[in-house]
Amino acid sequence: MNCEQAQENLGPYVDGELAPDACTALEVHLEDCDTCRAELATVRKLASDLAPQVDTLVPENLWTAIEQRLDEAGEATPPTARRPRWRVGRAPYALAAAVVFAVGLSLVGLVWTGSSAHASTVDFSVLLNGLPLDANQAFGKFLALYDAREGSLADARQYAPDLSFDIPDLLPGGFHLQAIYLLRFGKLEGVAAAYDRDGEFLGAVFHRPVAKEHFGQHKDYPCVVGKHDGHKVSVGAWRLVHLTDPTTCHCVLSRLDERTELPDVMAAVAPALPEGTGRHGH
Amino acid sequence: MIEHDLLERCRAGNRDAQRELYDQTSAPIYRLLLKMTASPDDAFDLAQETYLKAFTQLGRFDGRSSLATWLYRVAVNEALQFLRRAKQTRVKLQELAAEDCAASENGRTTARLDVNNALAMLPPNDRAMLLLRYQEGLNYRSIAATIGCAEGTVASRLNRARERLRNLLQNSYEWEGSDSPMHPKDRC
Ligand SMILES: [Zn+2]
Repeated sequence: MNCEQAQENLGPYVDGELAPDACTALEVHLEDCDTCRAELATVRKLASDLAPQVDTLVPENLWTAIEQRLDEAGEATPPTARRPRWRVGRAPYALAAAVVFAVGLSLVGLVWTGSSAHASTVDFSVLLNGLPLDANQAFGKFLALYDAREGSLADARQYAPDLSFDIPDLLPGGFHLQAIYLLRFGKLEGVAAAYDRDGEFLGAVFHRPVAKEHFGQHKDYPCVVGKHDGHKVSVGAWRLVHLTDPTTCHCVLSRLDERTELPDVMAAVAPALPEGTGRHGH
Repeated sequence: MIEHDLLERCRAGNRDAQRELYDQTSAPIYRLLLKMTASPDDAFDLAQETYLKAFTQLGRFDGRSSLATWLYRVAVNEALQFLRRAKQTRVKLQELAAEDCAASENGRTTARLDVNNALAMLPPNDRAMLLLRYQEGLNYRSIAATIGCAEGTVASRLNRARERLRNLLQNSYEWEGSDSPMHPKDRC
């Protein structure tokens, strides 16, 4: 691979859209080429400069303006008998999404009481599908699917004594803990945590390795994080990375780079990962 | 994933359902329009158009893309049409950027073309590509569905847009270090 070809592939590489063999070829080239490595840094910088820095507030009167025009156009049926907008049980997704939207992630577990007894599988597709629109919200839907309720770290340890995980208040890179959740994947206990770094979401899910993972239409590729082999699914700038030790699969959803920021974060939430396993999880 | 039942109720014109769909999606849609136009007023107007169009055309949504992608598509089309009709934003922003560039300290001109200014100076199509990818986090397949281009062309379109953005930024950075800019307007 020459520099021109390498540089054409840098964008797709950073975007998680490059096929695995092309990734390997590019990485080989990058090992030896300062120019292309510098170029890669520039592409990454541009990507992070373009990422939303602060939450944009939607003007409060926008809906009023839309509603007024709907009324004028006579498009909508008159407001129906005011049934509660978010109903427990009937529409779990809408409920979770709405609650997350309205008051943030921390309440999801408290109000969601529906049941969705899935066999011992962990289906990430609802999470992955929702990422392009709103990761925080997508994570809320995922939690709702598995009957999440909020708890403390002590609650989580007591609830899932067989899992090895840590949920520090502050992760490397400056992510602050927002909430801890106790989940149920069929017969198996799971634990999840939500973090925030100035509006940038990071989520962690811990489950027993025996639980089968599903990723919908998304492709799951092998990857290396620090000294550990794992696997990952990329959706846009988001990646869901899994590292497994004998008792626990540690899944972290973030926009962090696998080579730079992610290894420290994984080490912080997965303290019992054996050094340099060289083995592929699941 | 936006619930099937919610879609059906929106299609039937149920106001509560429309509000619910709006609540779930308006933050990213407004954010995209704001960056496309660089004007809160224009973004406000275009967001109205987007939802009115979405509610009336929801019957045509075939479910091949996600509803989120479809909404992005309606919004991007509104924005591109608007920008074509009135090239004002580009001109306005170029003026703004030029003002920034002309700010001088101790007789030395400093350029402060930040990524947002540079973004606003790009051709609208390039801007849409970069925003969909890096602000909204869409994958290439969804970008293709949103823009209405072949998935295979997304990478090269993004490369081109990125290159143009970098040129704008680089010129301003270089200029920051130089002592006597000859043609500030040209550089910015
Ligand atoms: Zn090279």
